Amino acid sequence: MKNKFFTWQEWGIIMRIHLNPIVKKDLQVTARSMRFSWGLFAYEAVLVMAFLLAMAAIQSQSDSIYSDNNIYSYLIYLFPVLAVSQVCIVALIVPIITASSISGERERQTFDIMLTTCMSPFSIVIGKVISAVLRILFFVVAGMPIMALSFVAGGLSWSSLFYFVLTIILLSVLSGSIGIFCSALCRRSITAVILSFAFYFVIYFLTFVPLILKMLWSKAERAGESLLFLLFNPFVFFEEFFMQIMTGESLFGMEGSFFSKQQVGFLTYHLSQGKAWMFLSAACIFMLSVLFMAAAAWKINPMHSSAGKMRK
Amino acid sequence: MLYINNLTKNYGSFTAVNHLTLHVPEGDLFGFVGPNGAGKTTTIRIVCGLLRASGGTVKIGNTSAAVGSKEMKRLIGYVPDFFGVYDNLKVREYMDMYGSMYGMYARDIAKLSDDLLELVNLTDKREFYVDTLSRGMKQRLCVARALLHNPKLLILDEPSSGLDPRARVEMKELLKNLHSMGKTIVISSHILSELSEMCTSIGIMNGGQLITAGRIEDIMQQLGGGKRLHIQIVSEMEAAVRLLKEQANVRVESVRENEIVISNNGTDEEISALIGRLIQNEVVLTGFYREEGSLESLFMQLTGKTED
Repeated sequence: MKNKFFTWQEWGIIMRIHLNPIVKKDLQVTARSMRFSWGLFAYEAVLVMAFLLAMAAIQSQSDSIYSDNNIYSYLIYLFPVLAVSQVCIVALIVPIITASSISGERERQTFDIMLTTCMSPFSIVIGKVISAVLRILFFVVAGMPIMALSFVAGGLSWSSLFYFVLTIILLSVLSGSIGIFCSALCRRSITAVILSFAFYFVIYFLTFVPLILKMLWSKAERAGESLLFLLFNPFVFFEEFFMQIMTGESLFGMEGSFFSKQQVGFLTYHLSQGKAWMFLSAACIFMLSVLFMAAAAWKINPMHSSAGKMRK
Repeated sequence: MLYINNLTKNYGSFTAVNHLTLHVPEGDLFGFVGPNGAGKTTTIRIVCGLLRASGGTVKIGNTSAAVGSKEMKRLIGYVPDFFGVYDNLKVREYMDMYGSMYGMYARDIAKLSDDLLELVNLTDKREFYVDTLSRGMKQRLCVARALLHNPKLLILDEPSSGLDPRARVEMKELLKNLHSMGKTIVISSHILSELSEMCTSIGIMNGGQLITAGRIEDIMQQLGGGKRLHIQIVSEMEAAVRLLKEQANVRVESVRENEIVISNNGTDEEISALIGRLIQNEVVLTGFYREEGSLESLFMQLTGKTED
């Protein structure tokens, strides 16, 4: 019997596309834990604090003698303050969630059973990362009303809010993949958490090393193409994102700055035109995440790694 | 059903499994016996795709799939020696999760998990959180979970460890049930009396090597150490010992004040003839009885020999 568009067998394959079982399980387990509810409460509290502090700062700024007394012109700064607060919290939470995901399964002695099922190591890793990203999205959605204030009062467009959520997802994927890689490497969750923050440090600061070396050792006046390494830096990506959202310009094209046309290399300058740098950087960060996930999957595959180690 | 050929696992210079060759026929309840560190768990982990072998092959049924492949995993249900459960997850959800991990449809999982929970006597615990179940219940749930995708081979590594006597009996009955349904089961255990009651065949491992494998009765027959005869004697003890030592297939195991213990693998007629010969030689007997060979004595005999 044949359907107009698909055979019944093809329909069967389509219907089999279901939610990754690890995602479903993790969300069920998380949603029922009190820790998650308290986490949401703490997250909201931090955001409200950041909002109130920013408002107080804006108020004092508008009251100063240098001000044009127009408070509304400063309200746009609510966005970077709240966004940076969210980004910092996400950057802190995701590695903690994912760094204990594989090692936690090992500690709980559930990992072996998981490996004997038909799930491939990569599906396990993907499932863990997606569940971490979805948990973060709970937080982001919960923080939406506070974020919306900065858009309503600050006069930013709603599409900016949408792009902001996308960047948060991207950061979560990167943090999650670093966390899961460290989790696959370490037997204990606490070691995995510490190691993932060490990796964070390496990615954030190591990408600046070529630029620093070029400026210091070769006594070059131009940063040149050493800036291209910063495509992998989430911090620079967010800087660029905020610049694009708030001024519509790229961080690397600003006249008079360290990243001006005269300072940066030919390729960097042309990439900084429009939104090219931002999108390319997003692609690079995503690629880096995929690499970490692939390495984690390789590490947990019993047919590839750790096979020579004896179980104690 | 399970064909292990020349399987070897080295950890550096230490050999955990040494050229193991084993065949478990379809429908068998096979007991894997051996002291700690014999290589049983290592072998099981290799078969289940949790460990990479240094050499050798593993085959299940007619499939030529590699160990650790999806095809192979579909054929095996594995119950590990120690396993944990998730907090905040109900029994129904636990089954649902593992069913999904085998790519099963939700409606099939629901139907099969109901049947399996009934089989392991956990139907009334469907809506209970898994972490609130007792150790025995968790073990039975793990068996139900391992059967969810209808594997051809069920492998249990020390399923009775940490269970109270009642839970052990329940587990034994469950395995007997599964065997009667035609499942091929491989079970490793230290509780030899339990294995001897339910297993159709055994494999004894020591020091990474398979010492012997086959049906329990056949192994005992081959070794001759299984059948012991206790002969109570009133007089002519020395003559009796001398006569017994002269007989073929008879080994004098111990001589006490008025009892001689011998082992032989003869038939009932041969034993009868042996007793007759003693009487003809004027040995006065008050009685004799045959001690049925136990798996424990066989195990001690075999592993002791290897250690020597």
